[in-house]
Amino acid sequence: MPTTEHKHPNYIAIWIWLAVLTAVEVLVAFISSLPRHILILALLFLAVWKALLVALYFMHLRFEPKRLLIFAVAPLPLAVIFVMAIMQEFP
Amino acid sequence: MAHAAVMSGAEPGAGVYTKKLGMWTFLASEVMFFTALIGSYIVLRFGAAETWPVPTETLNIPLTALNTFILICSSVSMVKAYAAAVDDDQKWLKIWLLATVIMGAMFVGVQVYEYYHLIHDHFLPSSGLFGSTFYTMTGFHGFHVSMGVLCMSWVTIKAFRGGYAGGKYQGVEVVGLYWHFVDLVWIILFTIVYLI
Amino acid sequence: MTTAAVAERPTAAGHDGRSFIQRYIFTTDHKIIGIQFLFMSLLFLIVGGLLALMMRWQLGYPGQPMPGGGMLPETMAPDGILLPEFYNSLVTMHGTFMVFFAIMPLLVGVFANFLIPLKIGAPDMAFPRLNMASFWIAVPAGLLMVAGFFVEGGHAGAGWTAYAPLSARPDLSGVSLGQIFWLLSLAILGLSSILGSMNYITTVVNMRAPGMTWFRLPLSIWSLFITAILVLLAIPVLSGAAIMLLFDQTLGTHFFNPVEGGQPLLWQHVFWFFGHPEVYILILPAMGMVSDIISNGSRKPVFGYHSMVFAIIAIAFLGWIVWGHHMFQSGMNPMLGTTFMISTLVIAVPSAIKTFNWLGTLWRGSIHFHTPMLNAIGFVAMFVIGGLSGIYMATTPVDIFIHDTYFIVAHLHYVLFGGSLFAIFAAIYFWYPKMFGRMMSERLGKVHFVLTFIFYNLVFFPMHFLGMGGHMRRIYDPTEYEFLQPFQPMNRFITVSVFFLVAAQVPFVVNFFWSLFKGAPASENPWKDNGLEWTVSSPAPHGNFAETPTVYHGPYEFSSPLVDDDYLPQSRAVDPQPRPAPAAGD
Repeated sequence: MPTTEHKHPNYIAIWIWLAVLTAVEVLVAFISSLPRHILILALLFLAVWKALLVALYFMHLRFEPKRLLIFAVAPLPLAVIFVMAIMQEFP
Repeated sequence: MAHAAVMSGAEPGAGVYTKKLGMWTFLASEVMFFTALIGSYIVLRFGAAETWPVPTETLNIPLTALNTFILICSSVSMVKAYAAAVDDDQKWLKIWLLATVIMGAMFVGVQVYEYYHLIHDHFLPSSGLFGSTFYTMTGFHGFHVSMGVLCMSWVTIKAFRGGYAGGKYQGVEVVGLYWHFVDLVWIILFTIVYLI
Repeated sequence: MTTAAVAERPTAAGHDGRSFIQRYIFTTDHKIIGIQFLFMSLLFLIVGGLLALMMRWQLGYPGQPMPGGGMLPETMAPDGILLPEFYNSLVTMHGTFMVFFAIMPLLVGVFANFLIPLKIGAPDMAFPRLNMASFWIAVPAGLLMVAGFFVEGGHAGAGWTAYAPLSARPDLSGVSLGQIFWLLSLAILGLSSILGSMNYITTVVNMRAPGMTWFRLPLSIWSLFITAILVLLAIPVLSGAAIMLLFDQTLGTHFFNPVEGGQPLLWQHVFWFFGHPEVYILILPAMGMVSDIISNGSRKPVFGYHSMVFAIIAIAFLGWIVWGHHMFQSGMNPMLGTTFMISTLVIAVPSAIKTFNWLGTLWRGSIHFHTPMLNAIGFVAMFVIGGLSGIYMATTPVDIFIHDTYFIVAHLHYVLFGGSLFAIFAAIYFWYPKMFGRMMSERLGKVHFVLTFIFYNLVFFPMHFLGMGGHMRRIYDPTEYEFLQPFQPMNRFITVSVFFLVAAQVPFVVNFFWSLFKGAPASENPWKDNGLEWTVSSPAPHGNFAETPTVYHGPYEFSSPLVDDDYLPQSRAVDPQPRPAPAAGD
């Protein structure tokens, strides 16, 4: 299988990023006295950041053909539609 | 030889080999499965419920943070195993795979310990909506991790028998994709179930 | 890569020293797996039909002993009179068997399995062993579903939609084990469907023969491919919902229990978020196969091939954002209701494109009325009726009046029986020679079609009138309601017609089994079609193609000026100069 040879990304650096972000999350959740909705937004932001790191580097989506990227993100709009629409029911 | 080229999936198609494409389609369906569970949780908690217990008061956050760290470590050891397989570095392939299996099993063990203490403290699946959603989501995640540990053990045994020698990294990569996906789901779950 | 490629397809042509069990039972051959699904789902089709027959007896002759009902145990029908609880199980299980164990496996299990590798020029599926697992996971699911009838408390009775809290609380319904069996069976069947669709998607994307570009794929493969994506993404949602409901039943969780803060409405949303894509899972493959057959029977290219493909994709996408139209009566946020109404009405556009394209294909064709063609035309006619009544109920004000009446029953049977099932009959008649190497009897086939078409309409058309008169669905005894009394003769007429409809299936069953052994041996290409599957012998050999075919044309090159024959197989190369057209004709 001739793959496009790329140098391995620095996985240890990603790992440090993930560990630091997790620590920040716990600190934000416990120590900070942020208003609740800002707290939620901050935590979601950190979680999405971590998830993206895992998907792009560990699952090496960043180095895959664009067509595979379509496969990977195809269910996400459906997930968003699902939650957003049902939330309308419970104002 | 044109035949073999078609079979290997280089052309036409998604531009990746067939097993990897199969795993990605499976992961797409897994996303929808967790959408049903997590989406229901979001709706029940943020849409419908008037009051919701503070998770940090019921759950053991430091322990789970440690567990999250273990899973992240197992993800990085998995990706190192994949890199070793690509470079045909058999020694480190075995070491990293073994480390992944052990850390995956540790994660499950810590989760069982957590469940044991929660149940001991009378926090059950029947303890309101919080108990219902907590046990369903983390339980199914734990089930996925357990399945991953089983598959990973099989891959590790195969690696020790030299099954991935000579740059045959596909099996390691495909099981790795599943493993990272499970890690990714946990990153989301840890935030929205434990911290928020 | 060569070794890995061989390992990926252990059933490649060439080495065939397989035992009987490897060949016909635990087989990895996609064609045999398709045929296994065919026998299983036809069996469940008969079971589902018999359940409907019992239901209709109760509606036509309420409280009277059913002929042969004495054979049923006391817990179902003492003295042959159906109990209300058993009637609820009949309603539920007729829907469940027909949707999940008959129509869906008939379309997706049988024809996706059988047709995809043959039509794209592949030796087998991408993952043959997963394919085998997919069938052998479906079997225990079916057995579990049947077993539910014989457990304490009877089978699930909350309808095939299993609305909570009726389905979640045994103290309300009196059914506990039956509902648990039902949920477990669906969760297991879900796994089978997901494995299957993984296979279909990967195979179509990665294993097409050289020259088989996306826009040379037959419409049947396009629709099966899009359907597989819908299955892949919709079925896990059902599994998730079923698991939550299962936990409500067994672990005491409170997802759908309003007493503890749960939301019954959440079940409806999650179920229909799966349920509406499911509706298109049940009709899209039928549309695709009908397109193939109509083009063949008209000896003309499909009218507007590209618009057909885009219509399939549009229907599949829109199918995700219309689920709320099942819930107009559930008390929905009006803004959301209007959104769902509009998105539902928009689906009429791609559906109409497809219908007009079928008519355009028939227009000025030299139509051959062979049995598959008759059934395909029956599909188009019935789909139009079912589709038009669908537009009625998509509009909220009308739906509020006809919600949960027989109008809905009429609509869904016009699309599911008149639509999908006629297409399935067409496809069975059409591809039977390639499956078994023998032709089905045309005479019996035509008798079957004409009788089915007549009695089918006699059964389901009057239901529109019942529904407009306010006749509720899922009721045990219509004579208990004074305003339904005048409808009783019509109810009885429908019941009698159902008996004839079931009797009309006898020629099909006879034809199917008689032709297995005594049918005329089929040639390679009995319908003079262009698909790659017609270039191999009948039945198709193990491994499909001696050598991988190369594709030069689209699938619908009928009456092409390039060749003397009125068909041009996809894999036949012709010299690029068009021959002079005949003096007369087109």
